[in-house]
Amino acid sequence: MGSKHRIQITVNQEEYDLLVHPDRTLLDLLRYDLGLTGTKEGCDEGDCGACTVIVNGKVVTSCLILAVEVDGAAITTIEGLHQGDELHPIQQAFVDSGAVQCGFCTPGMILTTKALLDEIPDPSEEDIKHYLEGNLCRCTGYTKILDAVNIAIQQLK
Amino acid sequence: MDNYSIVGKRIPHRDAVEKAKGSAVFTSDIKLNGTLHGKILRSPVPHAQIRNIDISKAQKLKGVKAIITSKDTPQIKFSISPTWADKSILVDKKVRYIGDEIAAVAAVDEEFAEEALELIEVDWEELPAVFDPLEAMQPGAPLLHDAVENNISKTMTMECGSVEEGFAEADLIFEDTFQTQAQSHCSLETHCCIATCSPTDDVKIWVNSQAPHPLRQKLSAALNIDAAKIHVATPFIGGGFGSKIDLEPAQAICVLLAKKTGKPVKIEHSRKEQFMTTRMRHPTISKLKFGVKRDGTIVAKRAEVVIDNGAYNSHGPAVMAYNNVMFSTLYRVKNIKYEGQLVYTNKNWGGACRGYGDPQATFAQEVMMDMIAEGLKMDPIDLRLKNANIPNEITANAVKITSCGLKECLTQAREASGWIAKKAGKKKYRGLGVAAMIYTGGGSIGSGFNYSGATMQMNADGTFHLLMGAVDIGQGSNTILTQMAAEIMAVEPEAISLTTADTDTTFPCMGTFGSRVTFCAGNAVTEAANGLKQQLLENAAEMLEANPDDLEMKAKKIFVKGSPDKAVSYAEIGAASFYKKKKPLVAHGYYNGPEDVSAEFDPATYRGYPAPAMVFGTHLAEVEVDPATGKVEVLNFTAAHDLGRAINPLLVEGQIEGGAVQGIGWSLMEDLQFENGEIVNPNFHDYKMLTIKDIPRITSLLIETIDPNGPFGAKGIGECAMVPTAPAIVNAIYDAVGVRIKELPATSEKIFKGLKDK
Repeated sequence: MGSKHRIQITVNQEEYDLLVHPDRTLLDLLRYDLGLTGTKEGCDEGDCGACTVIVNGKVVTSCLILAVEVDGAAITTIEGLHQGDELHPIQQAFVDSGAVQCGFCTPGMILTTKALLDEIPDPSEEDIKHYLEGNLCRCTGYTKILDAVNIAIQQLK
Repeated sequence: MDNYSIVGKRIPHRDAVEKAKGSAVFTSDIKLNGTLHGKILRSPVPHAQIRNIDISKAQKLKGVKAIITSKDTPQIKFSISPTWADKSILVDKKVRYIGDEIAAVAAVDEEFAEEALELIEVDWEELPAVFDPLEAMQPGAPLLHDAVENNISKTMTMECGSVEEGFAEADLIFEDTFQTQAQSHCSLETHCCIATCSPTDDVKIWVNSQAPHPLRQKLSAALNIDAAKIHVATPFIGGGFGSKIDLEPAQAICVLLAKKTGKPVKIEHSRKEQFMTTRMRHPTISKLKFGVKRDGTIVAKRAEVVIDNGAYNSHGPAVMAYNNVMFSTLYRVKNIKYEGQLVYTNKNWGGACRGYGDPQATFAQEVMMDMIAEGLKMDPIDLRLKNANIPNEITANAVKITSCGLKECLTQAREASGWIAKKAGKKKYRGLGVAAMIYTGGGSIGSGFNYSGATMQMNADGTFHLLMGAVDIGQGSNTILTQMAAEIMAVEPEAISLTTADTDTTFPCMGTFGSRVTFCAGNAVTEAANGLKQQLLENAAEMLEANPDDLEMKAKKIFVKGSPDKAVSYAEIGAASFYKKKKPLVAHGYYNGPEDVSAEFDPATYRGYPAPAMVFGTHLAEVEVDPATGKVEVLNFTAAHDLGRAINPLLVEGQIEGGAVQGIGWSLMEDLQFENGEIVNPNFHDYKMLTIKDIPRITSLLIETIDPNGPFGAKGIGECAMVPTAPAIVNAIYDAVGVRIKELPATSEKIFKGLKDK
């Protein structure tokens, strides 16, 4: 297993100084060490997108990245989007549009949308689909997720 | 038009905020001190006799707290019912598919648990295996279950009228064979459970179950534990689609490990385990024969169906009965014959999967209908209208139909899709296809049970609490059932707090399946709410010295109609009932129907199928086929569903869109593939489900027929939304390029080959 490594990371604007095993994934670090269970494990193989988080502005599937690889990084998880009771406009759009059913893919969907809109504030439908292609949803058929993203774009303008 | 203020409104899911914030707690998110990790040793071979299991090396491993084998398990078999019970929690003598449970370990962490599994030594005698149901039925084929001849678990024959006489009077006969493939449910959350056992042997299990109350009964029976000692609790559930109805061996194993160690034990399926060992949609081979008149009247239809059961029964016998009922009940046909055979093979076992045998029946029947329309040179929608079911009729197979909007579904889908104009101006490589469907809109009392319970109480401060057995697995039952209660109590839905799906605190509910929750739990909730409303009115009448019949409820106040200034508030009624009268207000509601089961009901074939209501629908697809590759693009999709009443159109659309996309996946690419009994694509990389890039524009048409027995006239929708999708797509492909797909999925390769062979 090897000795633990020291890493310093910022998660949702809070700084952490941690000792982690070299084989600890970022997903397990978030869920089990930091108690941020909003990040979901759907496949543990990088295929479903449920574990998506934002690392230094880019979306990553946290099951495929080791904690030691994010030393020094700024990470945003779903818990870091809303301010108290006030939802981020993307979260609010997902709620209002009926884009949330079972909710298991929702954190990953919302964070991918966040990264998309941070990078491309006025994306084309092709851009939206390109970004969200890696996030699987079995409940909604994606239609209302597209509605939510389009509402969020208007809200954030 | 009824004037409701909450029912019929587009209200977002009541738990969507929690889910969007990431604070909704799913089973896997629960953390209990000292939790051990459970892992299951599964068979790596499809068929073998177990000579010996040696756990001595694994037992010596530090960190291992318990190891169990069949010796630690009561050898009581289970399935959907005791009649069909054939599966042990941990097998004793024989494994029958790759994934069969042999032993289990609880250890301090996952790594120790996995290492322990590697140290368990199993002495095998491999047996010949059989994977094809047609081969499995042949004399001399390897037998999976010793007492089951030719591997045929169940045969079923039902005849109404006489098909031979019907075929004799037909002008034209159509015959063909259709095949469907295995589909995996693919809920994003895998099976997970955490069990504890107290020093007094009280068991608690947190589990993502679609049917927590039946799960308590099944755990009790399989483990020989008093049901009263088992508490099943359901955290948020990440989708089900039928996969989470059955008792999953992992759940019973988790309880056994918790009992043995006295510690909390958690078992969570990996995605690979989820694909390889939870149930799947049964593959089918359906040989159909239809006799029709030149005017399109179907005079006789016959289906001979072989269903690939996999290694164990699970829901198989009932799935076959549903395959029959839905085939036989769709359209007004006098002469019907269904012959079915449910056949064991050394593969993952089939189970409940959205539609429960109906998508397979509908694929065969609705592609056949397209072929008949072509043969008669008749418009496919006109052919269906000619034979469509109508309201208030008993069908030839003795199924009672109350509300029925099939004709409206067909005509409104035709209009909304632009069918007539597009057919007239047909473009090369583009095509339109249609398919109809029938399903239950409220489960069935065929098993003797179709129960849902609810309790509604007024708190001392005048707020309300609703307790219901029904479990929300993401489809939104908590939202719509609360809407019904809120409409009756004249409050906003947020004014009602909820306790749901907990075996210690809520009345039982059969569970979330059979598209039954809206209807059955809805009737329980409306009964409870109406009972509580009556108590409120009686209390207010006393306080106002008025007649209850003269009162009106509005803005959390009750007053004599026309005199809103002299009112008592809900808060005052709550306080008076608690503190003054010492009689808190509470009312119960319970549904277990329908009452009027046909005398012709046959529990083996489901002739006289006792559903409280039937639902109907039409899917209409427009596709474009790339002639160079055979690739299909679904351009437009229209889905019309008779759902009685849409309690919440936003959520109903969500069910329809999700179902249609799951159906398109099954039509075009989803295919659980086996090689020598091993699933070769047990991951989302190789098992392709649709992504956001693949979806068409979906137009949902909500056909409100207002069922006389449904709560506010509502019927179910959940499963129905994927039932007619595949035939609509396949018929559209034929319209586009003239290639007739009779074996799902309609892959590019098959279409390309069809184009080349033309």
